[in-house]
Amino acid sequence: MNSWLLLRRDWRGGELGILLLAATLAVTVVVGMSAFVASLQATLTDESKRFLAADRVVVSGVSVSTAWRDRALDDALATTVTLAFPSMAVTAEDDFHLVSVKAVESGYPLRGDLLISDAPYGPISQADRVPSPGEIWLAPRLYALLGVSNGDPLWIGDAKLTVAGVVRREPDATSGTYGYGPRVLMNLADIDATGVVQPGSRVSWRLLLSGSADSLDRFSQWVTPQLEQGQRLLGTDDDQPRLGRTLERAEGFLLIAGSLGVVLAAAAIALSARRFATRHIDPVAIMKSLGATRSRISRLYGGSLMLVGAFGSALGCVLGWLVGYFFLTLFAEELGVTSPTVSIEPFVIGGVTALVCLGFFAWPPLTRLSAIPPLRVLRSDISLDGGHSSMDYLMGGCAVILLMWWYSGDLRLTFAVVMGLLVVVLAGGGFALLLLSGGRRIGSAAGSVWRFSLAGLQRRRRSSALQMVIFAIAIMLMLLLIMIRGALVEQWQAQLPPGTPNHYVLNIAPEEQAELTAFFDRYQITRQPQFPMTRGRVVTVDDAALAEYGTESEGPRQREANLTYAQHLPEDNVVTDGEWWDAGSQHFEVSLEEEFAERLGATIGSRLGLRIGAEEIEVVVTSIRQVDWQSLKPNFFVILPPAVLAPFPKTYFTSFFLPETDKGRLNDLVKMFPTFTVIELDIIVTEIRQIINRVGQAIEVVLGVILLAGALVLIAGVRASIDARVSESALLRAMGARKQLILGAIALEFSVLGALAGTMAVAGAELAAWGLQTHVLDLSYQPTFWLWPLGVIVGVLLIASLGLWSCRHVVSTPPLVVLREL
Amino acid sequence: MIKVTNLFKAVPVGGETLEILRGISFEIKSGDSAAIVGVSGSGKSTLLGLLAGLDQASGGDVIIDGVSLAGLDEDSRAALRAEKVGFVFQSFQLLPALTALENVMLPLELAGANGAEQQATTFLNKVGLGERLAHYPATLSGGEQQRVAIARAFAAQPALLFADEPTGNLDGETAEKIIDLLFSLNASAGTTLILVTHDQRLAARCQRRFAMESGRLSEIS
Ligand SMILES: Nc1ncnc2c1ncn2[C@@H]1O[C@H](COP(=O)(O)OP(=O)(O)OP(=O)(O)O)[C@@H](O)[C@H]1O
Ligand SMILES: [Mg+2]
Repeated sequence: MNSWLLLRRDWRGGELGILLLAATLAVTVVVGMSAFVASLQATLTDESKRFLAADRVVVSGVSVSTAWRDRALDDALATTVTLAFPSMAVTAEDDFHLVSVKAVESGYPLRGDLLISDAPYGPISQADRVPSPGEIWLAPRLYALLGVSNGDPLWIGDAKLTVAGVVRREPDATSGTYGYGPRVLMNLADIDATGVVQPGSRVSWRLLLSGSADSLDRFSQWVTPQLEQGQRLLGTDDDQPRLGRTLERAEGFLLIAGSLGVVLAAAAIALSARRFATRHIDPVAIMKSLGATRSRISRLYGGSLMLVGAFGSALGCVLGWLVGYFFLTLFAEELGVTSPTVSIEPFVIGGVTALVCLGFFAWPPLTRLSAIPPLRVLRSDISLDGGHSSMDYLMGGCAVILLMWWYSGDLRLTFAVVMGLLVVVLAGGGFALLLLSGGRRIGSAAGSVWRFSLAGLQRRRRSSALQMVIFAIAIMLMLLLIMIRGALVEQWQAQLPPGTPNHYVLNIAPEEQAELTAFFDRYQITRQPQFPMTRGRVVTVDDAALAEYGTESEGPRQREANLTYAQHLPEDNVVTDGEWWDAGSQHFEVSLEEEFAERLGATIGSRLGLRIGAEEIEVVVTSIRQVDWQSLKPNFFVILPPAVLAPFPKTYFTSFFLPETDKGRLNDLVKMFPTFTVIELDIIVTEIRQIINRVGQAIEVVLGVILLAGALVLIAGVRASIDARVSESALLRAMGARKQLILGAIALEFSVLGALAGTMAVAGAELAAWGLQTHVLDLSYQPTFWLWPLGVIVGVLLIASLGLWSCRHVVSTPPLVVLREL
Repeated sequence: MIKVTNLFKAVPVGGETLEILRGISFEIKSGDSAAIVGVSGSGKSTLLGLLAGLDQASGGDVIIDGVSLAGLDEDSRAALRAEKVGFVFQSFQLLPALTALENVMLPLELAGANGAEQQATTFLNKVGLGERLAHYPATLSGGEQQRVAIARAFAAQPALLFADEPTGNLDGETAEKIIDLLFSLNASAGTTLILVTHDQRLAARCQRRFAMESGRLSEIS
């Protein structure tokens, strides 16, 4: 006799099925979530790379040394060079416009996609080449601005180029001399012919690099000491990608979901193992009376459990991988993910989860099973020694907490969930015991159905309390995830409401302000207020001079920044330290953005030396602000009181929303105000919106998986007490009780359990949601009052109907058959 | 051969000690059959449990084929049971998840015997259930279940067979058949048969009869 045989036979009992399902689900959830999160993280990094169009970039004001490029090529890095500068584009009719030229070589971009079209605003396709020598590709607006069409000549400096296509988007669109005018793309080979790039002219060279992480690091280390003034290496520090917070929150959600999935699966495993053990007391006693030794039984059931674990893990790994893959395909297009990140880690985590869950929750009841005395065959009052089970659960609980921590890598996340669970377990369990023992008096005064069901609950007081706690945990985790999903989706919608500004205008001269407002009014364009803006540079902090950029030195560097002035704290900004000044302040004070201050090493009370134009002023830091970078609204690192900054020369800055159908208005604007710099963010906004929708979809699916896990726990929980109930009910029926009485009693019992569980669940869910939203996901928290009645009602309906369904055959089959099967 | 010397069993019940067996001694030769009768609660099942090594005595010893049970731990007693002991219970004690055939195969499989299925089939045929191999206990009548239990007990060809009220749950006619079956198998296998019963017909067919009275055993001639 071996475990395999035992397994096959036990399969008929049904408990193994739930055990296997629970183990499979645990592994599926864990593997799926972590595989997906791993790919998401990789995508996040890719995302930041995409805005560079490379993995690393050397930015330089002068042509990049060929030695650097050779060195990179030697180390198997892919390289390409771009050159960007502002210039006039001139047509055959002598129409001209300022444009942002970017000259590229074949191979560009190394990361991300170059999107083009044949006609302005025509269908977009992905470019598989760059402009050939002699060609020039234009931003769509330029066709109208310059009055050219494909095939027409266009001069950049002395070079005569042919208009050959439309550039719709480059991955590193915002780099270099971005913003001086609409983009044109040409081949680097034509640069000499333009005669524009002279020593000292304002150009931006970029050496783009991509390849293996090792080679990149070697190159970075090699090149960093050689960087001169005006040269920088990008891509080493994690530049916060635009989507950073969104994806981070999604990732957080997935990790929370995964952790909850683990808890739920552990609960399902614990419950089904417990039932499995109870139902195997007699078989084990018989086998022992037939001569099976204790270790034999242990080996048999241990082996059986291992088979279940192995099979469940394998199945879970496959399913989990499929789930992860499914999510990935949902995102592939938007995020430019080409292939899922294949790593062994998710599978390891999944395997360990199965091991821990089975080891801590399924194994203890099974080992105790082997201790059943064979005398049980003669004396049926001998039963499983349940004294150690609370210790088992405690240890198992600790193991699951550690697992959650390891899995999410987030202590606060784990803590928040555990606190919620503790409320449910301790308060809920105690409350349930109290109520169940107190109910006797109420019960005896009530009708017979009530008396029956309350008596039943009380007789099984301990197991009823345990059952209630398990129900509460399952409902709590399901509610929790629903709540967090709601909060996330709400936040994302608030982040990019309809009408989010998708164009920025800079360089608005004070005398043009009124005219611009009139323009906006005429076309009913929604816009933000206009902010004054003055270029300035932080040169000293507390009298210590800061190093200039590009020089070799430790510590903070000089920072160039756009300064603004404001009487009142801008909307969406939050003062985290110090105090915002009183309106009309005449003091030389300054308010800094949190991270900006940190990088400067400035705190409240620090004195900053600011160089504005030729002048220098000293201001004291009196407040530190947190800024919502996600809003896409204008934000400023440095704000001064109007009295201080207003006397300096300034331009204005604003942002506005232009729907895609009105994109042509931009040409009117640019024609009317040729000196404005317009930054077009519409593609990015659309893209972010798309990704958010996708993330939302992924979250729905995850929620579905978790709800399934929760349902499984509920089913396992209901089944856990079915045996006792079935035999009692059969006896009652044999003694002549009516169907309605029995069904009523069962429904009532489970309803009471469900109501208690629902209440506890809502309390635990609120607590955990508060912790998670405020401390992990960076979301605001509001108690969800509608959840309270809902939780209770759902608890009652769900548990009662599950209970009735599980007991249905008690009343639909003759009592004799039921009694016989026992 | 089974030899019992001065067997005691006492259990603590609510602070006091309840003496169930108070010095029991007897000896039964191989191949003999013995019946133990007595009122309910007199300690018959307790004695049977001790004889089969299912429980540990408080004093005295049981010696089966020269092996003293007092000197064995639980696992060694289990090994002894696997080799030498068969059981038939009042409540049949079949595994509900196993078919009749699998129930009979169980002790053979546990002993690691070859040809378990064939042997089990043979014995099920002997008890007249050759047609119901694949049936589950819940679909069998009480008498049929007890026949499966008897097939299971004899299939492992034990030296000793204990039966605790094997006919206690059966009607008179069925009980008669079960008794016939027990004795015919006993005769052909040469098993030592020790059974506890309230059934006078059953007791009458045994070679020796003992009466249990408040923990003491006396032979009835
Ligand atoms: N482990 C124990 N703990 C407490 N009491 C016990 C224990 N074992 C046996 N008894 C008691 O000892 C007495 C003898 O039990 P036993 O089962 O041997 O009786 P029996 O002769 O088989 O009775 P019946 O004919 O009803 O089966 C009973 O009163 C029983 O309750
Ligand atoms: Mg008895």
